[in-house]
Amino acid sequence: MNGLLTGSIWPLAVLVWPLLMGVVPLIPAWRTQAPWALPLAPLPALAFAALGAPGTTGVPDLVLGVELAAVPGGALLIGMTAAVWTVAGWQAALTLARGWRTGILVGFWCLTLAGNLGVFLAGDVVTFYLAFAAVSLAAWFLVVHDRTEGALAAGRVYITLAVMGETALLAGLLIGAQAADSLQITAVREALAVAPLGSVALALLIIGFGIKAGMVPLHVWLPLAHPVAPVPGSAVLSGAIVKAGLIGLVLFLPAGTGWGGLLVALGFLGAFGAALWGLTQRNPKAVLAYSTVSQMGLMLALVGAGQSAAFYALHHGLAKGALFLLVGVTAAASGTTARRVTLVLSGIVALSVAGLPLTGGALAKAAVKDGLAPAAAWAVTLSGVTTTLILGWFLHRLAVSIKPAPGPNWAALLAGTALLGAAALLLPWLLWSGTTDLPAGYPLRPGTMFDAAWPVLLGLALAAVLLRRPPPEQPPGDLLTLWRRPVLSPATHGPAVALPRPPLRRLMRLLVLTRRPEGALQRWSTAGLLLVGTVLLLAILLAAG
Amino acid sequence: MTAALPVLILLTSLIPAGVTFFLPQDRHLLRNTLNLGGAVLKLALIVAMLVAVGGGAVYEVALPLAPGLVLLLRVDELALLFVSLSATLWLLTTIYAIAYFGRKPELSRFFGFFSLCVAATTGLALSGSLISFFLFFELLTLSTWPLVAHKQDGASLKAARSYLLYALPGSVALLWAIIWLESATGPVLFTEPPDLGALDPWALRAIFALFILGVGVKAALVPLHGWLPAAMAAPAPVSALLHAVAVVKAGAFGVVRVIYDVFGAATVAALGVGVPLAVLASITILWGSVRALQQDEIKKRLAFSTVSQVSYIVLGAALAGPYAMIGGLVHLIHQGLMKITLFFCAGIYDERAGVKRIEGLNGLGARMPWTSTCFSLGALGMIGLPPMAGFVSKLYLGLGAVEVGAPWVLAVLAGSTLLNAAYFLPLLYRLWFLPAAADAEGDERAPALVGPAVVTAAGTVGVGLLAASAISPLGWASLIVTRGYAP
Repeated sequence: MNGLLTGSIWPLAVLVWPLLMGVVPLIPAWRTQAPWALPLAPLPALAFAALGAPGTTGVPDLVLGVELAAVPGGALLIGMTAAVWTVAGWQAALTLARGWRTGILVGFWCLTLAGNLGVFLAGDVVTFYLAFAAVSLAAWFLVVHDRTEGALAAGRVYITLAVMGETALLAGLLIGAQAADSLQITAVREALAVAPLGSVALALLIIGFGIKAGMVPLHVWLPLAHPVAPVPGSAVLSGAIVKAGLIGLVLFLPAGTGWGGLLVALGFLGAFGAALWGLTQRNPKAVLAYSTVSQMGLMLALVGAGQSAAFYALHHGLAKGALFLLVGVTAAASGTTARRVTLVLSGIVALSVAGLPLTGGALAKAAVKDGLAPAAAWAVTLSGVTTTLILGWFLHRLAVSIKPAPGPNWAALLAGTALLGAAALLLPWLLWSGTTDLPAGYPLRPGTMFDAAWPVLLGLALAAVLLRRPPPEQPPGDLLTLWRRPVLSPATHGPAVALPRPPLRRLMRLLVLTRRPEGALQRWSTAGLLLVGTVLLLAILLAAG
Repeated sequence: MTAALPVLILLTSLIPAGVTFFLPQDRHLLRNTLNLGGAVLKLALIVAMLVAVGGGAVYEVALPLAPGLVLLLRVDELALLFVSLSATLWLLTTIYAIAYFGRKPELSRFFGFFSLCVAATTGLALSGSLISFFLFFELLTLSTWPLVAHKQDGASLKAARSYLLYALPGSVALLWAIIWLESATGPVLFTEPPDLGALDPWALRAIFALFILGVGVKAALVPLHGWLPAAMAAPAPVSALLHAVAVVKAGAFGVVRVIYDVFGAATVAALGVGVPLAVLASITILWGSVRALQQDEIKKRLAFSTVSQVSYIVLGAALAGPYAMIGGLVHLIHQGLMKITLFFCAGIYDERAGVKRIEGLNGLGARMPWTSTCFSLGALGMIGLPPMAGFVSKLYLGLGAVEVGAPWVLAVLAGSTLLNAAYFLPLLYRLWFLPAAADAEGDERAPALVGPAVVTAAGTVGVGLLAASAISPLGWASLIVTRGYAP
């Protein structure tokens, strides 16, 4: 059977293995142990990334011809993604209750994982879209896993935005593929820069990817979904899944278009706005969600400015995944020592995200600032203040609001998460010379250290003030709550299900109007009229002919 | 032998039809053997022809019916596309129908007309000339009526009447168009484009409109679609046949023939009638979806969904670029697979759990997992989730739309996707997430009902997953376009 598969089998195996793991819950004998498939599913990807993501695969008969090859910076991103998913899977296997609901989660978790890895491996537009749809839509099951009212409501917002994003994305990709007369991602990107409808396509793509990447103002699903999803689900959402939107923009946004400026503007708006708005939250996971919006804002700005965001994304993914998982570890820390150890570890990882000198985060920031215009570099430095502030607030909320419950093995949970945190702190050191052009001693120079240190110190000082006078609490979802008004009483307004909000309600009424002409069509007097009309028409035509 | 093949294929349905009418009600075994045997034989013949035609062969046979009236049967790639769909789904629907009806009354009448209906569809697909097409088109109209009216209750009779009231003016329009055209050009064969120079452009536009009016009733183009949602009063196998294989597909197939083999894509473009037809198809796509959103009966929601989805085929044909045409043609198969899956499942819900309305779907996933999985796959395919069938159609239609300079179609496709998601996802949510009512009952211990649904659902995934292989419907549709209609 020559021609079924060309090239190396490894990129394909990286994607197929999680899909196989996803089938485990369907086998009755394995069902109760199925969650242990979760930490195993990303292992081939981890090994693949450690080897530098080598090789390409072609499967010409699959869908419209699947081509796999790691994207630029793919080894870093695949490695980060696989690491976050592995440790989150470990925590999920240790903490989730066994039952049919977890079985469903396991299946869709693995599908989401395959999609998440797939966006970093796709060589053609259709494969990319397929992977993106998998990571985007299957992740809905991570959000609604608990089936609480809040989870289902967040799920509704999530799936609505995800489907809209998918639709926008497909339209944009179709325009690009047609203009390029090719399904190759590189060809499509080049064609988008010059195609007559290129700007329409780019606008659609930015909407589609922006929703996923948490770009302000399309980020509203993030702060709603994170607090309600199970802890490991939040970790992969925030650490890895949002990066799918980022890589989409990296892959498809042609260099030197006006859209880059828009991304920079929206990115910095999110970087500062979300970090400050996050201070109005009380749930530590909601605070972290806003921190993710803020950090993604920085990365979007980097992409808009034409910088590589992969190194930064590597650190953020590992660190943010670890911080989310630490919420779960804290909940399992019953003794005082255990609690203290967990909080200290959370503090160290948080400081790394803020960019404290000598941490992985400081290296990531130093690397990206080097290529930026002075104003943008200054903004990145300044964002250290707000990041420190929101993460300080997170640590405070973590300490006061998470009550330990007797539960699973704290030490085992901590071990996995500590590995992830250590990777966030140390990996940038190991990868420094391979991924940046800067000299090896650059992070240790006094100037660099000073640039990294003062925002953190200033942020810590502000955080101390903030703890004394916390801002008023606001519901998560910011912009979404602005246009949601109290639902009118169902007794006076039509159907008993009073779900739609006023703007939607007006739309619904418009839809109902279509019933009238439809009813007329189904009355048989109309059909009779049609018959008579046809005869008359024929007579006229006969006379004319 | 090779010349006889098209006739043989026709006979595999006609003979069972003819014999079944005269079988007593209680000869179940003989009747079932006859119908299934015909269906299997037909499928085998078609597979043989697919191989031969793929290699470049063409079968043609002319049967003189009356002086000056020749029934021309011709097997080309396009004909085979439609015939292989109808043969495959006919076999599955027959299995399903046998299990569905069990020992209910009037089965000989039902299966007789059922086979006749498929014979008409086959003949229509194989027709090599306009007049042959018309004959089978009419046979289809008439043989479908008893199927819609089968239950003989008020709703069925009303639906059947509505069907005739829509179909007959359509037939009149079609006949008129044919006479008008052929009086100027002589008999129209699909292989030889007629010389349209004798007619002035406005006459040609009027003829085109009459053609579309004629086939548009069956293709359920808005505002000619009123009969289709009403016809869901018919039993589930009939709905499956009506929506996926026979009637609406005959209409859509007619549109393709009229555009490509009667007028020719270039003439359609020169006359400026392609864009209005594309607009009409777009309106139908959106209107059907908007109406589907408001239906509380499962089958009615599916019926409006058919109105919407069949116009994808019309849209592809009307846009007339190679990609759009591939998208439209492949959707002929894809929509058939997806929609028949959904109707099979709707029938199972009704028959095994007494569920007709969407509220009844709550929690059914746990009790009827196979059926519900199939239903979910069909629905996700309709939405166009990759890598399923609907996605491939939509991808090609979208590429084609941009190619011929009609990017507004992308907005229509996007709107249709969102609306499809809006009326299908809540059903899936009910199936899998909402708790079942306390008095809910039902199971799916009916392999002959569930089996066909599983096969078509697997097909829905398979044709998308393996779209790039040469033997997929997409491969065949591309073959049709490159061989027959490449500009």
